[in-house]
Amino acid sequence: MVLQLKDVTKRYRDFVAVDRLNFTIEKGEIFGLIGQNGAGKTTTFRMILDLQDTTEGLITWDGQPIKSVDRDILGYLPEERGIFPQMKVEEQLYFFGELHGMDKAVIKKDIDFWIQRFDLEEKRNVKAETLSKGNKQKVQLIASFIHKPKFLILDEPFSGLDPVNMELLKDAILYLRDQGMTILFSSHQMDNVEELCDHLCLLKRGESLFSGSLLDLKKQYGKTKLTVRTDKSFEELSKFPGVVHVKMERDSQAVLTLEDESYAPAIFDLLSNGGYMEKFSLDYLSLHEIFKEKVGAGLV
Amino acid sequence: MSKFMVLVKQLYKQKVSAKSFILTTLLYLVVLAGIMYWSEIRDLIFSGDADTIAVVNETNFDVSEVLQNTDDYEYEYVTAGEVAEKLKDGDYYAAFTLTDADGKLAAKIESYDPLPLNDQQSFQGMLSQAGQIYAMSQLDLSPEQQQLLLSSEPIITLNSINEAAADGKSADEKMAGVWISYAIGIIIYIFVATYLSIITTDVASEKGSRALEMLLVSVKPEIHFRSKIVGVFLVALTQFIILFGGLLLLLRFSDGGNKWSIVTNLLDSMSIGYFLYVMGFLFLTIFMYLIIGALFGSLVSKVEEAGQVMMPAMMLTLVGFYVMLTGMGNPDTMLIKVFSYIPFTSGMVMPMRLGATDISAIEPIISFGLLLGTVLALYFLSLSFYKRSVLTYSSGGIIEKMKTVFKVTT
Repeated sequence: MVLQLKDVTKRYRDFVAVDRLNFTIEKGEIFGLIGQNGAGKTTTFRMILDLQDTTEGLITWDGQPIKSVDRDILGYLPEERGIFPQMKVEEQLYFFGELHGMDKAVIKKDIDFWIQRFDLEEKRNVKAETLSKGNKQKVQLIASFIHKPKFLILDEPFSGLDPVNMELLKDAILYLRDQGMTILFSSHQMDNVEELCDHLCLLKRGESLFSGSLLDLKKQYGKTKLTVRTDKSFEELSKFPGVVHVKMERDSQAVLTLEDESYAPAIFDLLSNGGYMEKFSLDYLSLHEIFKEKVGAGLV
Repeated sequence: MSKFMVLVKQLYKQKVSAKSFILTTLLYLVVLAGIMYWSEIRDLIFSGDADTIAVVNETNFDVSEVLQNTDDYEYEYVTAGEVAEKLKDGDYYAAFTLTDADGKLAAKIESYDPLPLNDQQSFQGMLSQAGQIYAMSQLDLSPEQQQLLLSSEPIITLNSINEAAADGKSADEKMAGVWISYAIGIIIYIFVATYLSIITTDVASEKGSRALEMLLVSVKPEIHFRSKIVGVFLVALTQFIILFGGLLLLLRFSDGGNKWSIVTNLLDSMSIGYFLYVMGFLFLTIFMYLIIGALFGSLVSKVEEAGQVMMPAMMLTLVGFYVMLTGMGNPDTMLIKVFSYIPFTSGMVMPMRLGATDISAIEPIISFGLLLGTVLALYFLSLSFYKRSVLTYSSGGIIEKMKTVFKVTT
């Protein structure tokens, strides 16, 4: 493991923002920290980045307390985008590179590469304040890793992006992971987390509800999501054994939630009755559904 | 290059190449040039526009020696009959009717429109001088006696019998001190107001745009704080050097070098120690307000709130400036003495006491020491507070913001 959080707590007088948080991230993996607004994600990021002190607990990088680690190994993209509005795009990237101790000549190659990859060639000498939201986000993302940090934290990197730019950013994150960078990120878009993360931590009001691999999380719930295409009615489907919930969708499609995946063969027999069936698919719950179930439980 | 230097370089480059900096500096230079070349500009704009004054002299006294033509006024000696008509037609700007009133000169000033204050004052000055000469002419004095009377000024020697007191300054030296201190006061006020606003807005803008969070991943808050103060101070110093250099060149080459000799005479009457003190007060005061500006900038959540938080500091500089202005009339008042020790105002007030009053050597040392101590104390306190406030976002007034910082960071 390369990053470890051990019983990390952040308390503001009577309010506990983060409560005994524990997780580890392996080198070169993408780790997702997910939770609702105010769950403690940004506070956790700030403690890891040593922008805020922990009240209790320990954060280590490669076995060393994070406070004693060279800050240039860290990269950070804040949730609310922060770039210098009056600075030109290229100037901005050079500035962040130099700030992390990199030589101008060395950064140039990387700036050229990323500007081309993110289709910003025409914006190279344009002031940041004139860029569109998506382009600002791209520039800021480049600024956060232009110094090739070992550990990159991305706070809501996809918020407000259109699907095309979202794909560009996802590809870039996977590319950085393939280059050996360890990445921790937060997102409200669960499909992105599911697509990118190997491991994750689920936060609710500062407390960890789950920490581990995505598959392990899904296995906790089992394969209980059954999607079928049938001419059976809602009432008929509800009476099938082990069915706890039915949701009718378009095109005669229904999604059944089962008590247990062991009921699936019996339902298959009942539906097909030895004949052809267009769709019968038994899956794990999606992360979105698990998130709603785990984090949304108890919420109105 | 160290992170500190990268930050200072970026801030310095950005501010010095900003249009606002270039335009402001040019504007100040134009204003300075306008002041230096005012007589030439006035001649160029108003040449041939001397106002004609009709003089109806009903005495047997020759006033033409006193009422001599100048660039502003031309005198025409006429009889009473034609004056009113020509005043109405605008041929005459004003008319003086001089008569004898029991051995004294009586003058009636007439004009079609009411006269502006400066013309009233000029006319009164010239006519009272004419009245003096007229009165003397009634006494049958010889030209030598008249000259002696006109040039008689008492010979005054100042001597303080308190041996412990500093050597007294002459009235000329004190007047020079008043004017130099006035100039220094204005410089401090303009620079503090300008650069306090720049540093507060700059920190607030970085904090509001969240660029600060990205910076603080790489640099510690104390380095960021120091870089802001040093960077903005260097920008202020650059502008000071440009304006000071420009002023010296203008003084040297305008008015055939006459102004230069006036200034060198003025400076000769002041000691080197005075200038060292003045420079010390000037730079320490700017430093102090930059520290306050950076701290206040770190308290706000968005740049729009910068004006609100820097108001208390702006008020302090205004107080210092107005107290310094009251010293122009009398620099020995208790008000001036008290404010010359208060660190937030001493930079503007103590140079006036130093230049224009007889104070003992220990007083400026104490004032300077207090200012230096305050700068150091403020620096360390602000630094410790800055580390807490720079990533804390809150609403409300300045006190409320400070309370929030303490609440969430302790």
